[in-house]
Amino acid sequence: MKIGIPRALLYHYYYPFWKTYFDSLGIETVVSSPTNKWIMDKGIKYSVPEICVPIKVYLGHVLELIDRGVDYIFVPRFVSIQKGQFFCPKFMGLPDIIRHTFPEMEPVMLSPYVESTTDDLATSLKQYQIFEDKFGITRSDNRKALKKAETVWKLFREYSLNGYDIPEATQKAMSEGCQTIGDYKRSLDDKYEYAEVTIGVLGYVYNIYDSVISLDIVNRLKEMGVRIKTFEMIDDETLKKQLANMPKTLFWTFSDKLFAAGNHFYHDPDVDGIIHVTAFGCGPDSMLGKLLELDSTKFEKPFMTVRIDEHSGENHLQTRAEAFVDMLKRRKRKLKKGALA
Amino acid sequence: MQELFMGVDVGSVSTNIVVIDKDINVVSSQYIRTNGQPLETVKKGLKQLKSEFPDDTRIHGVGTTGSGRQLVGVMIGADVIKNEITAHATATIQFVPDVRTIFEIGGQDSKIIVVEDQMVVDFAMNTVCAAGTGSFLDHQAERLGIPIDQFGGKALSADRDVRIAGRCTVFAESDMIAKQQFGFSKAEIIKGLCEALVRNYINNLGRGKKLEPPYVFQGGVAANEGIKAAFEKEINHEVLIPEHFNIMGAVGAAILARDEIFVTGRKSKFRGLSAADLEFTPRTFECEDCPNHCEVIEVKVNDEVVARWGDRCGKWTNSVQQLDL
Ligand code: SF4
Ligand code: SF4
Repeated sequence: MKIGIPRALLYHYYYPFWKTYFDSLGIETVVSSPTNKWIMDKGIKYSVPEICVPIKVYLGHVLELIDRGVDYIFVPRFVSIQKGQFFCPKFMGLPDIIRHTFPEMEPVMLSPYVESTTDDLATSLKQYQIFEDKFGITRSDNRKALKKAETVWKLFREYSLNGYDIPEATQKAMSEGCQTIGDYKRSLDDKYEYAEVTIGVLGYVYNIYDSVISLDIVNRLKEMGVRIKTFEMIDDETLKKQLANMPKTLFWTFSDKLFAAGNHFYHDPDVDGIIHVTAFGCGPDSMLGKLLELDSTKFEKPFMTVRIDEHSGENHLQTRAEAFVDMLKRRKRKLKKGALA
Repeated sequence: MQELFMGVDVGSVSTNIVVIDKDINVVSSQYIRTNGQPLETVKKGLKQLKSEFPDDTRIHGVGTTGSGRQLVGVMIGADVIKNEITAHATATIQFVPDVRTIFEIGGQDSKIIVVEDQMVVDFAMNTVCAAGTGSFLDHQAERLGIPIDQFGGKALSADRDVRIAGRCTVFAESDMIAKQQFGFSKAEIIKGLCEALVRNYINNLGRGKKLEPPYVFQGGVAANEGIKAAFEKEINHEVLIPEHFNIMGAVGAAILARDEIFVTGRKSKFRGLSAADLEFTPRTFECEDCPNHCEVIEVKVNDEVVARWGDRCGKWTNSVQQLDL
């Protein structure tokens, strides 16, 4: 028996957890391929045109998994992972979007109802009970699997907090090694010792780490010798502190994290500029983007919005990113030297 | 001895070569038709420079931009190779530090660059549709039998307004003929054409962008007063035209080279004005080692590969040994 995991949406945040969990229960998993043209085209074909790209892409991944002959598809219903805050409605209704688009998928969907008070999914056993009934798993095995998953996921978060991006952190957390995080951190610092500028890249994990959706902006910037910071590299305490000063916060968990991260970047002297990567048609981001943009003048930090949809052009993004980085370097040199009049 | 920096903007239609001094005064500038031969064109330009300056003149830094920037950059030994957006914006910011919107209309392409606090935050570029570029005007000038350099002045002398529907060159042309038959004067038609071009340009490139003043208008077409007036009418605000409006890309490249040299303190990689004498042979090939099928460009000097680019994975770029010529 095989469970398919779409390489989309919160795969980019919870894969180490899910993979470890299923592995320790002895359940085989299949992950869809990294987003490619086939996946993108299928996703677009079966979605309503107005919906945001990451959801379109998600549908494409689901179809690829069906195509590859999995028995089940893992489509969690994310409702809340923080008290008083919710997920974007598209997450809450994700299983329904799939169900209504492809009625034949209803019986093969595994959709735990995710509602907890922290982003550590192991804290609410309730959502995993569906696997006990479905696959004849004992309560104690379930608990053990969750414990393991939690450990690996926490390690993954630890790497993120130490400055690794999601693919790096995933890989490190999931490969057994004896190096401590401290060693890794040092090697990361070496790697970026000569980085002239640091850019805070704000965006949902499923956009910025999907190299097709985001046209690989993270790696493009890295290739230009830029050091990247993202929201998941900032610890919760710091994020909460940012929000405490806000007259009003946003309602959606990850949007709120981005909002907090954006404000943190404005205050962080290491961050030279901010790029907000947002999907065309994203409701929460229309508010988030505006709020951040308004602050950009106050803090005198360059802010650029990159809006992506399925028609975004690679060359255009490359040139835009290059120009932004070039000007950022110039600006920094000017501030430092004062000599270039 | 003067410290000099050179900027080269290699476009598909024309190539500009400028030399600035360390205080960013333009001391020499050339406009040469590219005719599809960027290397030959630049060689010609270098020869010209050699004759303009005393023999012991040294160029302290060189920057290239434009569509042929890589190729020419390799050939002459550029210190910086930058895209057009960076180069243009750098020059504009130099002369109008608080600029927010740059309108750039050249012979073959046009762009809008949105600047905030001296940073490029957005841009749009049009290389496909001729209706928003200078060649549209050239074409119509010819049709009306009026030299292009008198075109703008004529527009200003028009008495009445006439709206030419010009979403596309083809429509504009037929509408223009119709309006002529209605008895509008040439001057009025020209004014209408200028306004059509500006409307097209703003509709195509400015869509969804916040275009805030100060506005700077540059590129070859900025010489045309009719277009300037049409811009001012369309956006209802004054539009500035910088002194070096038609060589901004090259000036920007020169400024970037100057800053690079000042900051790093390095010696320029420039091969000298006699680089014109070396034989450069470029070729392209398609790499079939993976599904990306990159088109790789390779440049040889005396049978030795001096540069490769265009590969996404870097395997070709990295296999080139640095050559000292
Ligand atoms: S937050 Fe925005 S991008 Fe993410 S699923 Fe919701 S609408 Fe789409
Ligand atoms: S150059 Fe590299 S990326 Fe491009 S086709 Fe060859 S192997 Fe693939």
